Parts: sequence; C-alpha cells; structure tokens
Amino acid sequence: MSDARMLLAAGEEVLQREGIYLDEQRWDEWLDLFAPDCEYWVPTWTSDRTLATDPQRELSHIYYANRQGLEDRIVRIRTGTSPASSPMPRTAHLVSAVLALEPPAPGRLRLRSTWSSHVFFPRTRTSCTFFGHASHELVQRDSRWVIQRKKVVLQNDFIPTMLDVYCI
Amino acid sequence: MDVSQLKQYVDDRPEQGVFRVHRAVFSDPELFDLEQRYIFERTWQFLTLESEIARPNDFVTAWIGRTPVLITRDAQGEARAFANVCRHKGSVVCREERGNAKYHVCAYHGWAYDAGGRNVYIKDGKEGCYAAAFDAENHDLLPIARVERYKGLIFGSLSPAVPPVEEFLGELRFFIDAAMEQGPQGMEFVPGRAGYTYRGNWKLQMDNGVDFYHLTSAHKSFLAIQKRRGAGEGHVDARMYDWSKRMALDAGMFQFRSGHTVGWLNQVEVEKRPIYPAIPEIRGRVGDALADWMLKPRNLVVFPNMQIADATTLLLRTFRPLAPDRTEMTVRCLAPIGEPPERRAWRLRQFEDFFNASGFATPDDTVVYEECQTGFNAQPLDWLQGYNRGMAAIEPGGNDLARNLGIKPVASLHAAYRVQNEVLYHPMYREWARLIECGLCGREAYQ
Repeated sequence: MSDARMLLAAGEEVLQREGIYLDEQRWDEWLDLFAPDCEYWVPTWTSDRTLATDPQRELSHIYYANRQGLEDRIVRIRTGTSPASSPMPRTAHLVSAVLALEPPAPGRLRLRSTWSSHVFFPRTRTSCTFFGHASHELVQRDSRWVIQRKKVVLQNDFIPTMLDVYCI
Repeated sequence: MDVSQLKQYVDDRPEQGVFRVHRAVFSDPELFDLEQRYIFERTWQFLTLESEIARPNDFVTAWIGRTPVLITRDAQGEARAFANVCRHKGSVVCREERGNAKYHVCAYHGWAYDAGGRNVYIKDGKEGCYAAAFDAENHDLLPIARVERYKGLIFGSLSPAVPPVEEFLGELRFFIDAAMEQGPQGMEFVPGRAGYTYRGNWKLQMDNGVDFYHLTSAHKSFLAIQKRRGAGEGHVDARMYDWSKRMALDAGMFQFRSGHTVGWLNQVEVEKRPIYPAIPEIRGRVGDALADWMLKPRNLVVFPNMQIADATTLLLRTFRPLAPDRTEMTVRCLAPIGEPPERRAWRLRQFEDFFNASGFATPDDTVVYEECQTGFNAQPLDWLQGYNRGMAAIEPGGNDLARNLGIKPVASLHAAYRVQNEVLYHPMYREWARLIECGLCGREAYQ
C-alpha cells in the first residue's frame, strides 16, 4: 500500500471508531478519539441555502472550542436523569465517501466524509435519521491519530424533538 | 360546540381558590380548530423584526395560524405583509425563508409581484383572451389586515378588529422594552436557525416557557453539569449561572390583560450577562429601573404564541400549532445591533448551551412535552393539577414593585423563587377561554 493509502486508512479508522463507540455507548473510548484541545462544530443554516461560516458571529447547533463540552455531554448521559437521554436512544452510524483532502499542515490529515445516523427512541418506539457530511482534521499524538477539529454539516436541520452528539 | 361546554375546559373560580385546566384543552381536535379560527386568526401575531428586513426589497416568510405570510420592505421603505399566496391558483409565491428580491414570481404559472405586493406580470396576459371582468379585478397580493410595529417588533393580524398593538401588549410593554431596548441601535436576530418540532400541543410550550417548577427535576442533569462547571470542569465557556442559589432568591410574576404574563427572579452573577459590560451606557439611555430589570431573569408570554425569555440569555421564540399534537418551534437569539464580537460569542455560547434543541436543557423539556401529550389520552385523567402553586399568595392588581415601575398588572405575586408559582399561567387560559367564547357567541374579541 502506498503511504497515502495507508494514511487514509488510518484516518478512516478513526472516523469509523467514532461511530462504533457511539453506537456501543463506549463513551470514554469515544472521548479519547478527540484531542483535549479539539474544536467540535455543528453550524446552523442561516437560510435555506447558506450555512453559517463563523461560530463566533453566527448560531451553531453545537460549538465547543475544546473537548470539555463533549465531556459534559457524557456526564449528562451518565447521570441517567436527562429525560431526553433516558431510556437511551439506540443508534447506528454509517460513514462513507471518505476522501483525503489537502492537509492544513505537515503531519496532519484532513478528511471529508458522508455520514448518516439512524436513531431509535425506545420511549416513543419511533426512529429518525440524521444525515450530512463532515470534515475532520486529525493529528498524531502519542503515535496515534486523534481528532483535532471536526465540523459536521447537518443536512436535515429541522430537528424532530431533539438532537445530541450521539445522533450525528 | 356549544359555548356552555367551555366551562368543562377551564375551571376558574378564584374566590374558591380553584383554577383547573382539563386535559382535553391539549388534545381535542375540535378545540384545535376553534383555536385557529378564534385565537390565531383574531389576535396579533409576531411576524419578524424591523432589522430582519432592514433594506428595501428585503423579505422574510412567516405564518399567522394556517396562513403563510410574506413580509417585505417595499421600495419606499415601508414594512408590508401579505398572504404569501398567488392570486391565480393559490400556490405559495415566495418559497424561501429570507432574502432580498425586487420581484416574487410564482413558480406555477409565473405571475409576478413586486415587494409592495403589486401584481406586475401576468404571463401571456395579452394572449389570454381574458374577459373585461378579469381585467377589472385586482390581482395584487392580499395584504394582511393589520400590520403594526412596537420597538422593532413587527406584528400582523388577519383580523381588522384588533386594538392597536401597543394597546394589545398593554402593561407588558415594560418587560418587552427590557428586551428591545438593550441595544443603543436596536435589536437583531443572530444569524442561524435552530428550528425543531415536537409531538405535543402548542400550549405545552406556552406553559413551559414560564415554568419555574420543573427546573430541579426535568433539568437535574443540567444542574449536575453546572455544579461540575462551578468547580472549573466542563464547558465553562458557556458562562452559565450558579443555579444552586435559585431557590432562596426573590421572585414573582405579573398577570396582564389580553392573556400576557411574566415571571421574574433576581439574578446571581449579573456579571455573566453579555450586556453587563454595557450597563453604564444602558443606564444612561434607559434609566436605572429598566436597566436593573434587564439584568433580572424574566420570561414573558405575548399570548398566544410568542415568548421572550431572558433567564439564561435573551431569546425570542414563537411556536406554530401544526396539529393538536404537533408543534413547530422557531427559536431565535436576540442581540443588540452592533454588539462587540467578544460579547456576541459569549451570548452565543450561553444560548447554545441552554436553548438549542441540541443543547443541555431544551431537549429535556421537549421530551417531557411528548410524555404529557401521551398522558392527555388517559381516560381517567380529567383536571390537571398544575395551575395552583402560589394561589394563596396572589395580590390583585399591582404590588409595591409594580407601583414603583408605574405598571398596572391584573394581579401580582412576589415571594421567594421556591414557591415556583403556577399562577402566571392563569391569564393565558382565561384569555384562551374568553376568545373561544367570543368566537362561539359571534362577538368581537376586542370591544
């Protein structure tokens, strides 16, 4: 395998693990895929055609400048006292169309992917699907690839009832 | 429906200390239809902000009840509102949320209207062999019966028989001013939409928007996170308040005419308010009384379906009934025009943390609305018991606070937050019953 292919495979594995860990509720392993100073961003749409471009000026569905916001999410789920996350929805994440893009700096990986997430709510016995695409920047820390930056574009942004990190 | 049946829905006997709402109010399809006809189509409805259509030919689309509405700034700079439907075959003309357009062209047969609603083009009109009677007809977009503004808010009504909007808002205006006068250049919506729907009646949101009582149960997980943040862990960028001190705080409510209501409490950590750095400027411009109230958490309802909440950060929300058990939410982050970038980001992090359908608080509210809606089908359940906290502490008319502010509420309550009063819902249900009664009796809603 060429170096480029090996890099892509290594990066793609991180993306797949993200989905797997969410689906299997392996929350600590999921958090561990992110660098402590990672940026996690789900912009809103500002009109039917345009997506927000600046999280400091425009509303985001989720914007965290570091991993601590994601950690809060897991703390919340684990309290078992959030009506939205109990009983815990079950999910299946699918990730495909992974392409390596020009890396922003040497030693980094930049990937774009298409994702869909099926969410089943035991509470109402109903399912919905969220979908979109994502861009990831990965960086090597302690000889493994971790997510330094993630931007999720939610294509169906009119949310049925609720959305949490495990839905995207 | 016979008007005598209305008493089966809202049991309002203040002299006996009784106020009860029947579960059917939230689930009966016949009532849903009456609400559309006699509430949504007969009162003022918030449409948009002046600043959303700042330039000539700017437009946004919205709803009044079941009617799609197009709001434009015409070429002369006047705010206008029309039924957003083509006169030809009734198709929705403008199919976008917002934008700037000199002309709106119907996608079906190509009839075109300018930003003032004037029909400027009937496709192949000359070749159409139209009779003279057709040419004599007006083909312009149908204007919404009334459009009026208050402090940058644009309201519309399908009924010509509504009082002026200032009169409709009445004494609630003080609290609207506390939101709309925060910025020296006015207020705007921060770009970005975070809409959602839920499987529940619209009045679940109406109530919950001013519900003090659910915080420590429905939002228990949020309070747990907040406690952790107090120790410096977690998403501290949200600059969320220390909620543990709430119970002992001074709080209260005012009931107003036309169904409006407001709940308020004192604020801990006022320095976490994004307007706090601007407070000297605000005091100079609006005076100490209004400035002090801008720092207090206040949640208000403009009956029936508009809320301004400022308990965490400033929000304007409207909710649109889609069915007895289905509601569409529009939630906007309201901010001073020209706010410095650092404070804007601060505001955004607070807003997203709490109010987003992807945040830490709103999903827990919305999910329990759905549990309520399921519960409303329970046959043995009749009267709900959720309208009674604070009954014994109501003062008719204004209390000392109201007198100091120069406002005249219908009733007041001033007590520790731990009362978590539910009497602030009363004006909404009284007005709900009154408007439906007027409709059923064929009376005008406003005399």
